[in-house]
Amino acid sequence: MRGLRWLIVPALVIPIGLLFLSGFGRDPSEIPSPLIGRPAPEWTQATLDGGTLSTEDLAGRPYVVNFWASWCGPCVDEHPVLASASTDHGDELAVVGVLYQDTTADATAWLVEHGDAGYPNLLDGDGALAIDYGVTGPPESYFVDAGGIVRAKQFGPLTDESMAQHLAEIGVGE
Amino acid sequence: MKGWLPPVAIGLAVGVVVLVAVTSFAGADAPTPIERIEVLSRELRCPDCQGLSVAESPTRTAQAIRGQIADLVADGASDDAIRAYFVTRYGEWILLGPTLPLAWLLPFAVILAAGIGLGTWLVARRPPPPEPPVPTSEALRRVNDEVEAMDA
Repeated sequence: MRGLRWLIVPALVIPIGLLFLSGFGRDPSEIPSPLIGRPAPEWTQATLDGGTLSTEDLAGRPYVVNFWASWCGPCVDEHPVLASASTDHGDELAVVGVLYQDTTADATAWLVEHGDAGYPNLLDGDGALAIDYGVTGPPESYFVDAGGIVRAKQFGPLTDESMAQHLAEIGVGE
Repeated sequence: MKGWLPPVAIGLAVGVVVLVAVTSFAGADAPTPIERIEVLSRELRCPDCQGLSVAESPTRTAQAIRGQIADLVADGASDDAIRAYFVTRYGEWILLGPTLPLAWLLPFAVILAAGIGLGTWLVARRPPPPEPPVPTSEALRRVNDEVEAMDA
């Protein structure tokens, strides 16, 4: 019985060690989205160019919703990737930007400076759309398949590789 | 000192604290809508901050969430429904505290177990009381001799 006392040490250290190791293996900024595998939020929003766009307009098409801001540095890096995806896939894919905590003047100036790829950018003045998607900070992108189901979420800037991977998940470019 | 006294005393003390805490919470008046908004805002994590609650953060997202909480409270949603509303969007991550009520009791349980363990250990490591000295055969012989001398 006296010897069993020393089993307490490994019995405590091993589970705590495994807990720490499991935490070291993942990026704490990557929060799993509960939206994956569920229907995408429905919305009708004003656009930066004065129009209106809704999820009904996108029905039957895969689409990417990209939250960005003119004050967001990494958004500059991913902008060419989004522009290429929009151009390369044409009607097969819809790319939709959403202004995250930004003004229309700053966003318009940013698009002039970095190039307007021509896809719509939604206004989200009250932040409700960002909350519906569970956005924690730009850039973040959500990939929705033709059936309206969210299939992937990209934390941080998109690269050519991550874009291709996520587009494949929503049946684009296969 | 009785051996069972330290663990029982520690257990009793912790039990009284838990009982007082539970009864004081249970006896509180129903909160006003403003109090509910404040409490819920403190329970929800600000999505674009580092370790701040929605109540503490000045960001536009935090303000937007506070506004949505107020709208949901005004619509008659329960506290659980409002928490669930944000969990379906952000996941459990949005909650600053544990969701399982039992998780709140875990620290108390650990402290209680540690206290009982420490008390038991302290009692067990005390040296046993000394045994009464066993009379040697020489001493017994002398006692017998003295008893016989007295009888004679």
